[in-house]
Amino acid sequence: MGVMEKALIVARKEIAENLKSIRYWAIIGLFVLLYIASTYAIGFAVRGFRGLAIGGRARTVLQLSNQVVNALTYIAPLLGIALGFGAIAAEREKGTIRLVLARPIYRDDLINGKLIAAVALIVLAIALSTALAVPLAVAMQNVNVTSEDFTRLALLVLPATLLALAFYALSLFASVYAGRSSHALVVSLVLWIFFTFILPIIAAFIAFQILGPPPAIPFNATRPFGQGLPRQLQEYFTRYNQVVSSIQLVSPTARFSSLASALFALRPQSDVYEELATALARRWIDVAVLATYIAVFLIASYIVFLRRQETR
Amino acid sequence: MMGMAEYVIETENLVKVYRDRSGEVRALDGVTVRVPKGVLFGLFGPNGSGKTSLISILVGLQLPTSGSARVLGYDCVRESIEIRRRVGLLPENYGFYEYMTARENLEYLGKLDGLPAQELKRRIPEVLELVGLREWADAKVKGFSRGMTQRLALAQALLKDPELLILDEPTLGLDPQGTAMFKKLVEQFVKLGKTVLISTHLLHEIGHVCTHAALLRKGKVIAQGSLEELAKAYREAKGYSYELAVAGGAEELLRELKGVNGVTYVGLENDLIKVRAGRDIGGELAELAAKYRIRSLVPLAPSWDELYQFYQGGGWE
Repeated sequence: MGVMEKALIVARKEIAENLKSIRYWAIIGLFVLLYIASTYAIGFAVRGFRGLAIGGRARTVLQLSNQVVNALTYIAPLLGIALGFGAIAAEREKGTIRLVLARPIYRDDLINGKLIAAVALIVLAIALSTALAVPLAVAMQNVNVTSEDFTRLALLVLPATLLALAFYALSLFASVYAGRSSHALVVSLVLWIFFTFILPIIAAFIAFQILGPPPAIPFNATRPFGQGLPRQLQEYFTRYNQVVSSIQLVSPTARFSSLASALFALRPQSDVYEELATALARRWIDVAVLATYIAVFLIASYIVFLRRQETR
Repeated sequence: MMGMAEYVIETENLVKVYRDRSGEVRALDGVTVRVPKGVLFGLFGPNGSGKTSLISILVGLQLPTSGSARVLGYDCVRESIEIRRRVGLLPENYGFYEYMTARENLEYLGKLDGLPAQELKRRIPEVLELVGLREWADAKVKGFSRGMTQRLALAQALLKDPELLILDEPTLGLDPQGTAMFKKLVEQFVKLGKTVLISTHLLHEIGHVCTHAALLRKGKVIAQGSLEELAKAYREAKGYSYELAVAGGAEELLRELKGVNGVTYVGLENDLIKVRAGRDIGGELAELAAKYRIRSLVPLAPSWDELYQFYQGGGWE
């Protein structure tokens, strides 16, 4: 038997199990629905921009990509959690772990197998739902999309996979550590809620406390929309964004948003995308933070699982 | 890898302590057990006596706090994977993948055992036949009764044709028919020269098939050995019992039996004479058996239940 043979046996079983499960397909369905709903919501905005004749084709695609990124920010973590929270804890609850560990299998093979399956299932879910939803959204909004736009949208699968894997690693650790899968699920969801909803509020609150209220700017009805903000207001928001970004540096969802947005960065004063390598090189910190989450919680899961004794 | 003594299981002063916030529990307290090769060995004791902890350590599901244990010559801590390659385990608390069929469950577990696909194809119907589940091979486990699940659990333990079969409370949930099938199966297994370790607190259900046992109480071994070895002390303390089958007209024999030195009780029930004595009167009975043409003479062994109560000086608790 090869080194990874047992892990692959576990992975094949896990993939087959999930492909047959309602939960997995429900998440993909939810994904597609969220895309479509978001597309509807931005429909007015897109038409509004066209009416004002501001921005160009790329800006319309940007609106679309923003919605895709937003949808992924919510769904990708849930996909990771859905695959991770029961990975070990549910096997303990059902008692299958005693039959599995009574075999000549190393414990890390079990986690490796689950991890391989998770990567495959996450990539499949994100790719499939994106492949279904994006063309649908494009058709619904009648957006003129180039092959470059499609490539950029397709590349979203990579940061989304990293985000989903970060939450998978978090919930796998909870699953290994917790006695019950329900506990692992609650812990994982609390972390997701914290990073997605609470940390941005905390960050905004702290930034406001540090910087105070924005400077009062007299209303100028003659300044055309989109012509830019006064310098002191621009400075205020730059500093505000710096504080918020610093606080949210530890947030996997914020890092994903930042990384995903970099895929659609435009050259200054232009309708042309920035070179991918250039755009991504600036966002190496996002990749590093997401990779750190994955590595730290996977290693912690291995350590805890290898030391844990199955007493039930 | 087997040692010279041919013990398939050898533990030495094994200690297992569980610690949690409420304190610590000493599940095993210096357990030394020797299981000879090719026997049906019972691990008897009430719930909480340490049977499952001992089994979990033997197959590497748990680590001992101190002491050592070897199974089939392999160390339970350092070489547990080698043990699991050769041992079939039916744990007390287990479960199957319910959305999968019996066959799919066995395929998955068999692959993890390292069995090649061809061997699995042959072996799965064989073990399902053995446990009486052949016609349920392609039914989802979700619909199985407790008894059927227990049969499937036995099938997965037999799948790799192990050298040693460890069964933790194997008759829990089995109906009388299932229990009978189970006894027949383990006896056949031992006839092949293999060893079976059965852990149970239901001595009346399964205990009597065992030829050897270790009796556990509160994490300690209170006695161990073959039925004969353990019965010796019992008989010396409680007396010897015999059963003689006669074919009518036993009045004269009954009178003679009552006159044998040491006999404390003689009774006739349906052509069976029961004799109890304070000493071993096997020789005298054999002479009488020849004189009166007795159909059979059987020295009665105490049951494991009686032995357990004798050795621990009371009931289960």
